[in-house]
Amino acid sequence: MQTIARREFFGLMKSAGALGISRALFPSWFPRVALRADKSAPPGDILVVVFQRGGMDGLNAVVPYGDGALYYDRRPTLAIPAPNGGDNAALDLDGHFGLHPALRPLKEIYDAGQLAVIHAAGSPDETRSHFAAMELMERGAQGVGGVGWINRHLQTTAWQNESPFRAVGMGTLIQGSLQGPIPAFALQSIAEFHLKGRENQLATIQHTLSNLYSIQAPGDDVDRQAAQVFATMDTMSQLAGQGYTPAHGAVYPETSFGMGLLQIAQLIKAEIGVEVACVDIGGWDTHELQGGAQGEMANVLADFAKGLGAFNTDLGERMRDITVVTMSEFGRRVEQNASDGTDHGHANAMFVFGGGVNGGIHTDWPTLEEHRLDNGDLALTTDYRDVLSEIISARLLNPALDQIFPNYTPTLRGIVRAR
Amino acid sequence: MIITRRNFLKYSGATTLAITLGSAFTWHGTQVAYAADAAFAHVLNRTTWGFRPQDLKTIKALGIEGFIEQQLNPESIADPVVDAFMARQEYMNLDIKTLSELGADPLKYYYMDIELVWARIFRAAYSERSLHELMVEFWSDHFNVPVGDSVTAKIVYDRDAIRAHALGNFRELLFATARSAAMMYYLSNYLSYAAHPNENYARELMELHTIGVNGGYTETDVKEVARAFTGWTVDYGTHYDYYFEPSAHDYEEKIVLGHTLAAGRGVEDGEEVLNILASHPATANFVCRKLVRRFVSDDPPASLVASAANVFIATDGDIRAVMRHILTSSEFMASQGQKFRRPLDVLVAMLRVTQPKFDDTLFPRYWLDLMGHVPYYWGPPNGYPEPKRAWLNTNGMLHRWNTALSVAGGAVKNYEGVHYNINKVMPVKGSADVMVKKLIEQVLGGTIDEQDKQQLVALLRKPKKKVQRALVLGLLMASPYFQWR
Repeated sequence: MQTIARREFFGLMKSAGALGISRALFPSWFPRVALRADKSAPPGDILVVVFQRGGMDGLNAVVPYGDGALYYDRRPTLAIPAPNGGDNAALDLDGHFGLHPALRPLKEIYDAGQLAVIHAAGSPDETRSHFAAMELMERGAQGVGGVGWINRHLQTTAWQNESPFRAVGMGTLIQGSLQGPIPAFALQSIAEFHLKGRENQLATIQHTLSNLYSIQAPGDDVDRQAAQVFATMDTMSQLAGQGYTPAHGAVYPETSFGMGLLQIAQLIKAEIGVEVACVDIGGWDTHELQGGAQGEMANVLADFAKGLGAFNTDLGERMRDITVVTMSEFGRRVEQNASDGTDHGHANAMFVFGGGVNGGIHTDWPTLEEHRLDNGDLALTTDYRDVLSEIISARLLNPALDQIFPNYTPTLRGIVRAR
Repeated sequence: MIITRRNFLKYSGATTLAITLGSAFTWHGTQVAYAADAAFAHVLNRTTWGFRPQDLKTIKALGIEGFIEQQLNPESIADPVVDAFMARQEYMNLDIKTLSELGADPLKYYYMDIELVWARIFRAAYSERSLHELMVEFWSDHFNVPVGDSVTAKIVYDRDAIRAHALGNFRELLFATARSAAMMYYLSNYLSYAAHPNENYARELMELHTIGVNGGYTETDVKEVARAFTGWTVDYGTHYDYYFEPSAHDYEEKIVLGHTLAAGRGVEDGEEVLNILASHPATANFVCRKLVRRFVSDDPPASLVASAANVFIATDGDIRAVMRHILTSSEFMASQGQKFRRPLDVLVAMLRVTQPKFDDTLFPRYWLDLMGHVPYYWGPPNGYPEPKRAWLNTNGMLHRWNTALSVAGGAVKNYEGVHYNINKVMPVKGSADVMVKKLIEQVLGGTIDEQDKQQLVALLRKPKKKVQRALVLGLLMASPYFQWR
């Protein structure tokens, strides 16, 4: 189906010569943000959180081929063949599970011992509503108002980080996990993140807008966002001017997910104080014509894995201090539906990779035995908060788990090593 | 002092009342001061897509209740600009079969998408039936179907389901969305068969279209509703429209929300489910809460949600009656300045001020893309979010400013992409101070803080220069005052 390529928009705008798109100017009165010196930089890993919106089919992403007919009989047209070396078969992990063939870039990280696959994981809540499930998962607890788990982590760190880039949300809307009192930086495009106006008016525009929005003494949350724009625009223009070439020949897919990851890599390498970055990937709500080794879901998986693989390659040695975690609001029904798709289910697979990860399969596998299913869905044996708690405490070095996930006692499962 | 609705409306033309009302307003952010015309400007900000001086004249002549009543009856309002525009469109007036056949050509399919999105923006900006256009937007989010699955089906859905019933009856609107190719494609029901019914439509029908996630349905209800809708599909290749396929239907008995659907029936199963849901009190509550959130406040007053739901139930879902109740309530009147404009609201308001010509209709679409709000491009079934907290962030803020500056720039010769006549918006007449004052009245329908105004006056050293006036207008539309409604 046709959509209008972003490139076309940008091409169009380049033709608008008189618009005078130019780098922002920075007069002397302009408030500058002093980044903290390296010695007081956050001591732990940088965290990258990927949310797969729509409910990934974990059973076709991480295929339990060892369950045999319990898997294959319920998915006559969708099942991924057991590993046999062929291009359309699962990529073997441990003799029981295999990755979907479109996840080959993740298999390479797995083979290097830096990818943890956590199966039968997710949110224990029973809702099969996308929106209720996402909200709960991103808040991390009931009754915490509009505050997300990442925001509570940032509120409870022992260190301070004054950088306006401390928390980054890629896209036009801020992820629920980032919402709360600690401001997050919403960014769609570094290249576009500057004031557009006539060259000789830009200083005036900046000056007037900063006064109209009272950015020296913000009166409300609108003023505060405006102040945040002024605090970040300078740096974004510098980064845009420098351009960016991924290292080690990494090639990101030209999708919004790929470009989101590329820009996160760019921000991390710029060393401007990024502690947490969130990026989303959609297209997982595969109710119909989901396909097997090829098809709709395979395409989304390929985008997902190529993006993450490129990120891992691009960051190279820097991955020692980075942890990436992926999650989705729920998994999908074991049995396929009449439309060659799968309906909303329960437990799912999560991926964690980075320098501090104990690679391998981490699961208390419930099996697909009829009596072990949860209303026809894969039963949940690992709460996603166990995975996040371990990352937060062991890699991000924040022990305040009782405040980040109130009323929850995590079970630590050895998914990552302590720094 | 508490002002009753009747009282308020009776005196709605009177200066004294507007001033009295001022003390009851909750002020949020940097707000426009409206003086005597406060109530008029408030009603225009909420029932139209942005203040226009000519609407102020109309509302003063008709009174508040009269103006709202006129807007509630869009068929009574002449709309020549939009009629002429629609007559020029290549695809918007075609039936689904013709569209489907033409759409086989990828280039035509692409132009259908461009035309549909531009027509949405154009009608929001220039239709005299402003409230109807606001309702179209509300229902387009409520019954969201993105263009991604099928532009051809979406054009027909937008016209025959959403627009036809936007101020009509909720039950008829619900039926029209259910009996549409667009919805059947988007929520997968077109491929649902008795053997393993697809639950996609069944779930969103209850969660998003009618009773809401807390409306009291269970996972079993989802499965039963999915069974009831087996056979609701699309005859792709012949009429390309919704039809009921008896051979795909599950004829066994179903139990939905405590109602037994007897065995042996066909399309009546789905129809009964729609009727059960349309009459369910949770639907009245859920829909009215969303309407109040959109038209009154991000924190909907419980009193108004409850009274609107009562009207909904009493009138069997008469949307016009519900809107009349909401827009003439004391809660509505006391909610001035509480709504933060969404990106589309902001862009459309700018178009109403400048009435520009575009070299290419992709320009406004490009700005909306940067702000994340291209009409009909929200993927999930819940529609674009409504509240301020969803939209207020650094990316959105910056691109609101850039959109304002880009639109306003079109006053100058040789500017590429967008063109308008700034002499109509800001004629050169009197001192710089007077010119800015008049501009603010024309754009916002009120006045702003004097210091802020002087910021703009100072930029107008040579008022004859269009480039300076364009800058002043751009900054006014980028200012915090322009972000609220």
